[in-house]
Amino acid sequence: MSRLMRIAVREYVAYVRTVGFWLSICLMPMGLVAALWAPGLIARQTPPASLAIVDLTGKGLAARLTPSLSARQPGSDGTQAIRLVPSPVPAGTDVAGVVAALRPYVAGQRLLPDGRTLDAAAVLHGEDAGERVAIDVWTRNPANSAIQARLSEAMADVLRRERLEKAGLDPAALSAIERLTPDVAAFSPSAAGGRVELRDQLPGFIGLGMGILLWMVVLTGAGMLLNSVIEEKTSRILDVLLTSASVPEVMAGKILGVAAVAATVLGVWLSIGAALLAATQPQVAGDLVAALLHRGLVFYFAFYFVLGYLMYATLFITIGAFCETTREAQTMLGPMMILLSVPMVFLTQSLAHPDAPLLQILSWVPPLTPFLMAARAASGPPLWQVAGTGALLVAVTGLEMLVAGRAFRAGALSSSRFDPKLFFASLIGRATI
Amino acid sequence: MQTALKLEGIGKRYGDFQAVRDLSFEVAQGRICGFLGPNGAGKTSTIRMILGLVAPSEGRIDVLGAPDGRAVRSRIGFLPEERGLYRRMTPVEAIGFLAGLKGLSTGEARRRARTLLEAHGLGHAMNRQIRSLSKGMAQKVQLLSALAHEPELVILDEPFSGLDPVNQQELEGIIRALAARGATVLFSTHVMQHAERLCEQVVLLSGGRKVFDGAVEQARAAAPRRLVLEGAISPEAASALPGLVDVVCAPLAAGGVQVTGVLAPGAPAQAVLRAAFEQGLDITRFELKEPQLHDAFIVLTGQEIAA
Repeated sequence: MSRLMRIAVREYVAYVRTVGFWLSICLMPMGLVAALWAPGLIARQTPPASLAIVDLTGKGLAARLTPSLSARQPGSDGTQAIRLVPSPVPAGTDVAGVVAALRPYVAGQRLLPDGRTLDAAAVLHGEDAGERVAIDVWTRNPANSAIQARLSEAMADVLRRERLEKAGLDPAALSAIERLTPDVAAFSPSAAGGRVELRDQLPGFIGLGMGILLWMVVLTGAGMLLNSVIEEKTSRILDVLLTSASVPEVMAGKILGVAAVAATVLGVWLSIGAALLAATQPQVAGDLVAALLHRGLVFYFAFYFVLGYLMYATLFITIGAFCETTREAQTMLGPMMILLSVPMVFLTQSLAHPDAPLLQILSWVPPLTPFLMAARAASGPPLWQVAGTGALLVAVTGLEMLVAGRAFRAGALSSSRFDPKLFFASLIGRATI
Repeated sequence: MQTALKLEGIGKRYGDFQAVRDLSFEVAQGRICGFLGPNGAGKTSTIRMILGLVAPSEGRIDVLGAPDGRAVRSRIGFLPEERGLYRRMTPVEAIGFLAGLKGLSTGEARRRARTLLEAHGLGHAMNRQIRSLSKGMAQKVQLLSALAHEPELVILDEPFSGLDPVNQQELEGIIRALAARGATVLFSTHVMQHAERLCEQVVLLSGGRKVFDGAVEQARAAAPRRLVLEGAISPEAASALPGLVDVVCAPLAAGGVQVTGVLAPGAPAQAVLRAAFEQGLDITRFELKEPQLHDAFIVLTGQEIAA
């Protein structure tokens, strides 16, 4: 086994033995499941909100609202169901009087005749003699605006229907008109069968996913590499390592080891996701595989992914060599995180506008290239752009690794706090260590 | 005898600070060489240059035939001054890993690790995490990790620091055993007694300069021999003794005087004793104190060294 591989294996085993590694493996799928199921579960388990409507308009609007408000089932979109209850106060003509009578119920100071609490009350009243209707919604939970939105939507339907009926439209014809929706189909010359299907959109989603995946790997790897180098530097193990292996071997071994850790974690997550997808949506899973294999897209992603990881990992391991403590490393991580947030800003945009001129230009900026070129995969960027950005990325990463080797040695053997002067001197090979 | 290590006019500057200047010495194969000097003398800087961790500002190095340690790293064993091991590794894993980096196969590295640990009384702890070992045990593990690949040149930077007397004695045994199997040992220390017991050659450094290079006996010869006389001796009579200079008299609690003096170069101690008897001095104790390496260091460098 080569020295590089020995260092990589040691690095890998050191992380695999930690509790955090296994927590990472287990918690993410559990968190994902929770994120998917929790909103619906909460909505289903939450009792319907009791709503009383007091209609002061004299037009019988409350009765017309009832079907619409009771129609929606809870849970599908995470909204709370509504249970209409008879108003505990008689409808008068005075809004202020009605509100004053309702307030103790909404505040929970008084209970409904059935012994339950009133969650919200809506007072319908006309603002003038015309058709305008105002709804004053009194609710126990001011943060929950769902009831207000449902009432507004339902009342708008009622008023629209009323106006159209007054204009002479038959209610049955009106219902038929409301059901009218066009059958829209999308076609594209780049779609396999002409008609755009999910599988034709998959490269875009995969590209976005790869960009986010790279971002996650870089973020995870950054912390691991920084901590690993700092630990070895403060305990002077790095001195022993550097007398046993070359700087490129030490750096590459650590980068490879951490990459293997990240790959293991992501591999487990992706395998679980793929297994679930294959079990529940075999067609989509098949399309996904086909999309990845189509025109060697998997190699396209792999190329940018590997180079992107190498570029950022080299940067982080070099910075780690210049830090004496984790606190120093954390302060250095701040600017790095700002740098890393830039690709995320453009990543989502590249799905909707993959060929936007700004994104095309930014694709040539090496720190952004791996993210943006991956996300632009769906639009099939011109070959010259792929070759050009790829060549530039290879050149910049290669140069970075060359310079980083010198800097890493200088940083690893220095025993002072982070010194920008030493850092920059080491980059141009003028550091005295 | 072949030369394992040769330094010619080595210097090292850190900005305006000259850590090592014009340092030349060589160590023959199979020798134990003590690299001595107070803290800040330039010992660690020199060791780092030999290992290739830092480049010399001037001069030439020859390590086992290579210009620096990097080209022959698998033939060198190194114990740094500041100790450190992966705390969550077991001794077997740590020694196996570092020996593996020096070119041993994984199986062989682990086999040797177990053998060494057993041989040095750490067999019971070989599968415990290093963080649970005592400082002395961890230091021993680190030393063994530098030796497991049976290097031709062993460089130990302050190997005795932090060890209790028992472990210091064991370390001396290990160093002698290394030389006995033909390895060259260069160890730095600021404690002269270890060098006196172990070394065939010592290189003394002070302020980045070499002040002595040679055998321990030669170094001792640079320091004066002292004579101690006790009895009913007057200061005048003591000062009149031939070959005795820098005489200091101190009264003894039990009565009488203790006279301490430096023997002039070439003056025999017996001549002083004979003269004392001839003068009828009442001598109750006579002791010739041969100089120690510590004394030689003070003479050679003009400074006291921290114990």
